Amino acid sequence: MLSYILKRLAIAIPTLLVLIIISFLLMHSAPGGPFTSERELPPQVLANLNAKYGLDDPLWKQIGSYVWGIVTEFDFGPSFVYKDRSVNEIIAQGFPITLTYGLLSFAVAVIVGVSLGVAAAVRHNSALDYAAVGVSIGAQVLPNFVMAPILVLVFTLWLGWLPGGGWQGPEYWIMPVIALSTSFMASIARITRSSMLEVLTSNHIRTARAKGLPERRVIMRHALKPAMLPVISYLGPAFVAMITGSVVVDIYFSTGGIGKAFVDSALNRDYAVMMGVTILVGALTIFFNLVVDILYGWIDPKIRY
Amino acid sequence: MSLLEIDKLSVTFDGEDGPVHAVNDLSLSINRGETLGIVGESGSGKSQTAFSIMGLLAPNGRTGGSIRFDGQEILGAKPKVLNKIRAERIAMIFQDPMTSLNPYMRISDQMTEVLTLHQGLSKRDALAESVRMLDAVKIPAAKERIRLFPHEFSGGMRQRVMIAMSLLCKPDLLIADEPTTALDVTVQAQIMDLLGDLQKDFGMATILITHDLGVVAGFCERVLVMYGGRVMEQGPTEPLFAEPTHPYTRGLLAAVPRVDDEDATMKAIPGNPPNMAAPPQGCPFRPRCNYAGDDCRVMPPLAAFDTGRARACHRPIAEVTA
Repeated sequence: MLSYILKRLAIAIPTLLVLIIISFLLMHSAPGGPFTSERELPPQVLANLNAKYGLDDPLWKQIGSYVWGIVTEFDFGPSFVYKDRSVNEIIAQGFPITLTYGLLSFAVAVIVGVSLGVAAAVRHNSALDYAAVGVSIGAQVLPNFVMAPILVLVFTLWLGWLPGGGWQGPEYWIMPVIALSTSFMASIARITRSSMLEVLTSNHIRTARAKGLPERRVIMRHALKPAMLPVISYLGPAFVAMITGSVVVDIYFSTGGIGKAFVDSALNRDYAVMMGVTILVGALTIFFNLVVDILYGWIDPKIRY
Repeated sequence: MSLLEIDKLSVTFDGEDGPVHAVNDLSLSINRGETLGIVGESGSGKSQTAFSIMGLLAPNGRTGGSIRFDGQEILGAKPKVLNKIRAERIAMIFQDPMTSLNPYMRISDQMTEVLTLHQGLSKRDALAESVRMLDAVKIPAAKERIRLFPHEFSGGMRQRVMIAMSLLCKPDLLIADEPTTALDVTVQAQIMDLLGDLQKDFGMATILITHDLGVVAGFCERVLVMYGGRVMEQGPTEPLFAEPTHPYTRGLLAAVPRVDDEDATMKAIPGNPPNMAAPPQGCPFRPRCNYAGDDCRVMPPLAAFDTGRARACHRPIAEVTA
């Protein structure tokens, strides 16, 4: 098991390297640069700026020194736009915020989604089941950029219960978490429900019932684990989609997470920030897929690493 | 008083094309320590009868009649009542050992939960008792192998585990639903030998459901032949097999392939099993029966004859051929 994890982490290094090279090339192949603006700079100023940031070097040299800086000093470079800030500082400021409401949303989506799905499957074809399916479909088709303004309208403008934006305490977390988690919660509920229904018809569940186990124990001890397998494989892609969703949340609720930094960097051609966030998300995705695979092995004894 | 008494059991499934009558008007009884075989082809209602006893019918199944176990009505009983009887007093083993064990749990956890739940044993005692039971079903190195997962066992070994698990609470009645159907022929013989030994050791009543007449002949004192969800003929094994009187029983016995037969063609009963969504009027075997007449359009009652035998036929072979 440990050697498997180490192997997976070792493979992550070349993967990240490929990610860096491809993003770097794509970024530089887009027209314009960090110092292009509506008002043309004198050619000499532009040349000096490019020379200062190393942008006049050949691309391979730029990539080389960029990767070298990361490997030797864990330095992701200075921001091209915010003159006094490094990429490390920007990420250090925004990432904890994104991580906080991201993990909370993840927890809410998984806990509420799985509970709802299990309840619906256990009471198959009951009013509860139909209600759960109805709510799930509704929540699934409601994108977060529609959800966010509705939440602000109801809870801030009409009811005045919650602050409409900012990041100063737990009451500021509620709406971002709801906006980000709802559609994932709905997907998880539906996946859980259908996989639970399938598991409940399997032979080993019949055996568990024949053993005289209370229904609660049949569900929790015998059916839940196998029913979770499709949910877990959904968590990998869901995680990536949540990162993308955080961009919308950051902008609507002014939470100040890295989603906002990511969008700004793309608009400003702030190469270093863009690369920094891309690498962060890439590394998180690799890490998360590893966690999913480990969970799989933990649930299904036939999978051994 | 019989241990189990089934009276006029009917099982109906609500399908999309109308109701399917899986079991009709079935009555049987079994005494303590007795071995009863229920024989019939696929779809004759044997398994559904067993599931009715255990309260394990599919949710769209409806039942009628009565099933009394040790004097207590258990047909349609609440799960709370049934859970006190399941595994503790009536245990069941299933057809497919490959899928009947939980693939995600260790054998030890699957076995010990029966004992901790029903008999209030501590985890330690439950584990020791489970190992003893695995020894009893002749699983080598049971103490170590109880920690394994089901996929680490062969089919025959898994069925042994299922048997061990079903016997943990020393039930009064064991229902074995085609316990050897999914296994190799050599393994089949081993499992049936084992079941036979255990049945004698534990003295439990056993209902063996099978379509294998050879297995029934070797195992059961009494046989019940089912067709189209009804009892066709029943009685002590030996006379029933020696002189079958119901045309269906006779056809079934004639269809058993014989090793010493030079002419190796199978003597199948012509025709197909009835469609239980639209069963034939009267005797379900009528369309395939060589002896059928107009009177067979009315279902004959199960009439007793000889000692302990009964048949549901207007034209039993003994009388037709005499």
